[in-house]
Amino acid sequence: MGRDRDSMKITYLILIAGLVLGAGLVAGCSTPGEAGDALKIGVVASMTGPASTTGRDMWQSAQLAADEINAEGGITVGGKNMTIELVQGDDESTREGGIKAVTKMITDDRVDLLVGGFSSAVVTAHQSIVAEKGVPYIVTGASSPTITRRTDINTSMIFHHCPTTDDYGAKTTIFVDEVIRPAVNAQFGRPEAQPLRLAVIYQDSPYGKGVLEAVNETIAENRLPIEIVAEEGYKMGETDFRSLLTSVKATRPDVAYPAAFLNEQVPMLTQARRDVGLDTIFLAVECNDDPDYYRGLGQYGDASVIESRFSPYAVPRGAISARVEQYRNDYQSRYGGFPGMMGASTYEGVYVAAAAVEKAGTAEKAEVITALTTIAVPEMIESMEGGVISFANPFRESRSNLYMEQLHWDAATQELRPTIVWPDELKETEFQLPGWYRPGERVTR
Amino acid sequence: MAIDPGTLLQILFWGLYAGCIYILLATGVNLIFGVMKTVNFAHGTLLMLGAYVTWSFFVATGINPYLLLGATIPVLLLFGVAIERLAFRPVLGSHKLNEIFLSIGLIYLFENGAALIWGSDYQSLRSPFESVVIDLGGFSLPLDYLIIILATAGMLAGLSVLLRRTRFGLALRATSQNRKAAQLSGINVERMDMLAFGIGAALAGAAGTLWAVSGQVFDPYMGSVPAVKAFAIVILGGLGSIPGAILGGLFYGVAESAATYTLGGAWKDAISFVVLIAVLVIRPTGLFGERGE
Repeated sequence: MGRDRDSMKITYLILIAGLVLGAGLVAGCSTPGEAGDALKIGVVASMTGPASTTGRDMWQSAQLAADEINAEGGITVGGKNMTIELVQGDDESTREGGIKAVTKMITDDRVDLLVGGFSSAVVTAHQSIVAEKGVPYIVTGASSPTITRRTDINTSMIFHHCPTTDDYGAKTTIFVDEVIRPAVNAQFGRPEAQPLRLAVIYQDSPYGKGVLEAVNETIAENRLPIEIVAEEGYKMGETDFRSLLTSVKATRPDVAYPAAFLNEQVPMLTQARRDVGLDTIFLAVECNDDPDYYRGLGQYGDASVIESRFSPYAVPRGAISARVEQYRNDYQSRYGGFPGMMGASTYEGVYVAAAAVEKAGTAEKAEVITALTTIAVPEMIESMEGGVISFANPFRESRSNLYMEQLHWDAATQELRPTIVWPDELKETEFQLPGWYRPGERVTR
Repeated sequence: MAIDPGTLLQILFWGLYAGCIYILLATGVNLIFGVMKTVNFAHGTLLMLGAYVTWSFFVATGINPYLLLGATIPVLLLFGVAIERLAFRPVLGSHKLNEIFLSIGLIYLFENGAALIWGSDYQSLRSPFESVVIDLGGFSLPLDYLIIILATAGMLAGLSVLLRRTRFGLALRATSQNRKAAQLSGINVERMDMLAFGIGAALAGAAGTLWAVSGQVFDPYMGSVPAVKAFAIVILGGLGSIPGAILGGLFYGVAESAATYTLGGAWKDAISFVVLIAVLVIRPTGLFGERGE
C-alpha cells in the first residue's frame, strides 16, 4: 500500500507540475527606455518561441526603419526634433507572453505607440490592455479581421497594416478558380465547368479559422465552381501531419490550401510529398514568404503556390521596385540575410507611426490616433491600393495589392525560387502544372 | 465510412512511427524514475538536444545521420550523467517539489542555452534515404520509417539485454526494487543513479535523432509537447514499468493517428488524454503499475 500511495502522490505531483509548466513562467524581455526627446515605439515581436524566426525579422526591420529615420534627423513634432527609440517586447510566441510584454511596455517603459504583433491568437489576448490604456497600435503581423472588428472591446486605437485572412483567403480562392481550375480541367480533359476539389487544412486558431471562413464565403458569394472536399484542423505548433495528410489524400483533392505558419507549413508539405504521396498543388499563406520557407522546403516546394505582398526573391515591377531592392540590400548587408514579409510591414509600420506623430504635432495618444485615422503615407516597399497606406475605412485596415507566386526547384543551383504568376499586370510567367501532379478525381466520362 | 486497406495500413504505420519516438522518451523517463524515484520534467529538452547534436555532427561531417546515432547517444549519455551528478544528486532525497522545480528550471536553462548556441530558428535534416520507397502492395512505405522502427526495436532489445543479462543490469534492477537492500549488498546506488540518468538521456537523444531524420523540424522549444506525452504514457503504462512505457507508447501513437484520421487533427492530443483519464479512473496505478501489498 505504501508504494501504491507513493506512486499516486508522484502522479499528482506530475499533474500539478504539468499545470505549472503550462502556465509559462518566463519573464518578458524588453529594453528599458530612456528619458529625453525620443518617440518611444514599442515593437511587439516573438523574439523567443516557435515564431521567433518571424519575430526577429520584425524586430530587425523595425530597427532598420528607426535608424533610417534617425539618420535623416528624426522627426519634427510641434517644432521640436525627436528621434525614434524602439522598445522590444518579446511575446514569447504565447498569449501570456504577449500580455506581459505589452503591459510592461505600456506601464514601465511608457511607450507612445505600439507596432508589430504576430499571430492573431497572441494579439487578440493582449488587445484589451491596449484598449484600456488607449495606446495607438499598428498591427503588422496578425491577420485575423477580428483584430479591428471585434466588438467586445474598444478597438478604435488599433490600425491593421497587413492583409486580413478575409483579404488573402478571398484572393487565393479567386486565383484557384481563375487559374488552377482551368489548367487542371484542360490538362486532364475535363469539362470546362467541372468544379475543382479543394482541401483546406487550417491551424485551429483565429488565423486558420479566418482563412477557412474566407474561402467558404468567397465560394458562396461568387458562386465559384469549387467544392471543399476536406476541412482539417490541427493544433498550433504541430509538426507531424502524416495521419492528417493521409486523411486529406483519401478525399482526393485537386488542390490543398493550408492556413499554416512557417514551422508548420514546411514539414506539412515535405511530409505530403515525401511520405504520404499527396502529389497535388499546395497553396500557402503570405506569412510563409520568408527565406527560411524556400530553404526548408527545397525540392518538395516545387510547383507550390504562395500568396504574397512582399517576397525575398521576387520584386513586382512598378513604382516601388527600386525601394524594395534598396530595403532588401540594406537588410542583407546589416543582418546577413533576406528580410521576410512580416518584417516589411513592420518596417513600414515604424514609418507610419513616425508620420502620424509628425502629423499630430504631438505624441499625445488621442491626437496620434486621430492622425492615424486620416493619414495617407505614400506606399514604400509593399504595393498598396491607390498607392498609399491609409486606414480611412470603417475597420482601419490598409489595403495591399496581393499577388501569387509559383515556386520552382532548380536542380542545378539546388534552390527553390518564385516567379509571379498572377494577376496579369504583375505576371512574370504562366502557372504550370508539374509532370508529377495527380488530379484529385479520375475522369470517368 | 469505408476505409481502404492501404489507407488503414498507412494510418497504423504513422501511429507506429510516432509511438517509437514516444517509447524511447517514455522508457528513459521510466528508467530514471524506477531507479531514482525522480521525475525529470526536462526530459523533452534532451530529445531536443539529441536532434541538435545530430544536426551539428551532420553539418560538420556530412555522415549519414543514422550512423550519427553512434555519436549522439554517447554525447547525451555523458550529458545525462553530468546533469545527475551536478543538478539532481544535491537535491535527491529532499522534498519532491525541489526535484520537480529543479527539472522545470533545467527546461528553461537548456532551451535558452540551445537558442544561444544554435539560434532559435527551426532546423531540419535530410535523410540520405528520403527518396527510397518500398512498395508494400497496399501502400508505399518510405524506407526511413522502417529504419526508425527497426532502430527503436534494436535499442529496446539492447536495453533489455543490458538490464536482464548483465551484472550491471542486475544491480540497476536491484536498486530500483529496494534501494537500501541494494546498498547493503554492496551496490553503489549513486553510481546506478548516474548511469540510469545517463541511459535515459541517451534514449531521449536517440529519439531526437530519429525525430530529426524523419523530416520533422526542430527548434529549442520543441521538447515540451513530446515530454508531456511521454509523462502521460508513463502514467498510462505505470510508473517505473518499462513494458508499460512500450505498450503505452505504441497505444498513444496509434490512438493519435486514428483520432486524427477519424475525428480530425484538432483531436490528436485530446484523444490520448481522454484515454489517460479513463485509465487513471479505472486503474490509478496505470496498466502495468505496481499494486503494492
